Amino acid sequence: MLDVLTHAAESFIGVFNQGGAVFVGFVTGILPTLIVLLTAVYALIELIGEHRIQGIARFASKNVILRYSLLPFLAVFFLTNPMAYTFGTFLRERHKPAFYDAAVSLVHPTTGLFPHCNPGELFVWMGVATGITTLAMNGDTSFSVAKLALFYLIVGLIVAVIKGIVTEWLTLFLAKREGVVFEDDEEEIEVTKAA
Amino acid sequence: MLSTKFRAVKVERGAGGWGGPLVIEPTEQRDKIVAVTGGDIPEVARKLAEMTGATVVDGFRSPPIESEIAAVVVDCGGTARCGVYPRKRIPTINLTPVGQSGPLAQFITEDIYVSAVKVSNMSYATEADETAAPAATPAPATEAKTEKVTAPEPEQDQGGFLGFITSVGRVMGNVVNVLFNSGRRTIDTVVRNVLPFIAFVAMLIGVINATGVGEALAHVLEPLGSNIIGLLVLSAICGLPFLSPILGPGAVIAQVIGAAIIGPAIGTGVIPAAMALPALFAYNTQVGADFVPVGLALGEAKPSTIKVGVPALLLSRQITGPISVLIAYGASFLL
Repeated sequence: MLDVLTHAAESFIGVFNQGGAVFVGFVTGILPTLIVLLTAVYALIELIGEHRIQGIARFASKNVILRYSLLPFLAVFFLTNPMAYTFGTFLRERHKPAFYDAAVSLVHPTTGLFPHCNPGELFVWMGVATGITTLAMNGDTSFSVAKLALFYLIVGLIVAVIKGIVTEWLTLFLAKREGVVFEDDEEEIEVTKAA
Repeated sequence: MLSTKFRAVKVERGAGGWGGPLVIEPTEQRDKIVAVTGGDIPEVARKLAEMTGATVVDGFRSPPIESEIAAVVVDCGGTARCGVYPRKRIPTINLTPVGQSGPLAQFITEDIYVSAVKVSNMSYATEADETAAPAATPAPATEAKTEKVTAPEPEQDQGGFLGFITSVGRVMGNVVNVLFNSGRRTIDTVVRNVLPFIAFVAMLIGVINATGVGEALAHVLEPLGSNIIGLLVLSAICGLPFLSPILGPGAVIAQVIGAAIIGPAIGTGVIPAAMALPALFAYNTQVGADFVPVGLALGEAKPSTIKVGVPALLLSRQITGPISVLIAYGASFLL
């Protein structure tokens, strides 16, 4: 009887001991670099100033490839999730849904190399990364975590462009079918003038 | 008087909630209660509209312009949405018990935000409450800067060497200030967003590992996770237009699948490492699908744009989700 109780108590606390070990692993493995990197990037953003970044944004919004790759990347890198979506302001109404799609699709692929972009949702990437780290420690993989992170970002950028184009097309299609007219004729002229 | 049409309603925080009480009183201009919750309009939003005499609006289907909003009802788990409206000084009612959290935590204050609200937390306001009614006026843009430490600068005009020393000192002071603020912002983010998630995931992984549920789950998921066809199916499911807004909030589903199931399964070799890249895209097909109207509003999109943009994006995901898995699969051969 006593044995059963002891065993039950042991397995109960065992669950949390295991959880605690995982916690320590995450804290020592992720936080030190993250904290230093976050501080550096926040300082960089503060020193560059948002208005300079906005100048590039205007330029990048005109080309379809740049609009759904460079522009959302800059937005996510400098403004981070969720303020990145405010970059949509620089775009014509018809491009806004597609831009949002591209930008939000980048908030995780960027975290492999630039965890500051979305620290609250790191585990979308970290989960898989820790799996690869485990394998790499045993020498069971042909690639490193850093390489996976780089590929995650590159594929993420390609996917962002495709998503942007498809969503832009669907937006125009739905707008036409439902007779919605985009309310930005004046803004449109303004943007071309500014550029 | 027309104003008899509207009544002030006091909204208090529920069990485990934070902030408030708010007094919501619609006006002729601001007569909409907006539900930004994905799926159905929650009971709280309906009841609040009924009590105040305002109209309840689904923020996903037909978002009104900001100046018409009397209050917003959200169900944000604490990563993004719960701060967006407080930032614009629009009274925000969160159904989940979340306090000051997320990247916009600094804007979430007790006079504009209340959480864990249930229908029973709402009552007609008495006169005494009404004096405390928050004015739904746009906040001055400078408010975000108030936390900054700005040392008083002596404005004496000094020429020559002494002036040079002073200006060097001033620049150095500014740089140090920027660095210090960055550090503080970092620690804030880590404590508010990163550590809570680490705690929750570590607890979950502990339970999953120690009980052996993890292995069982991994084996259930194995047919989906271990080959490209399975991942395409997973992506197509996550991209279903009626499902994606529900799977989205806080990226919780994606984080749990990634951290508690797929990651460990890759670590133990149940799911091959080559599947890591396509898997990252497959279980995250729904990314941001819950956030579309808010994200578009942040980009100052007009209501008509949001109206066509939301279905366009959700439909688009159905197509682009599996395509992105295929591209990632192709790219994984180059790894």
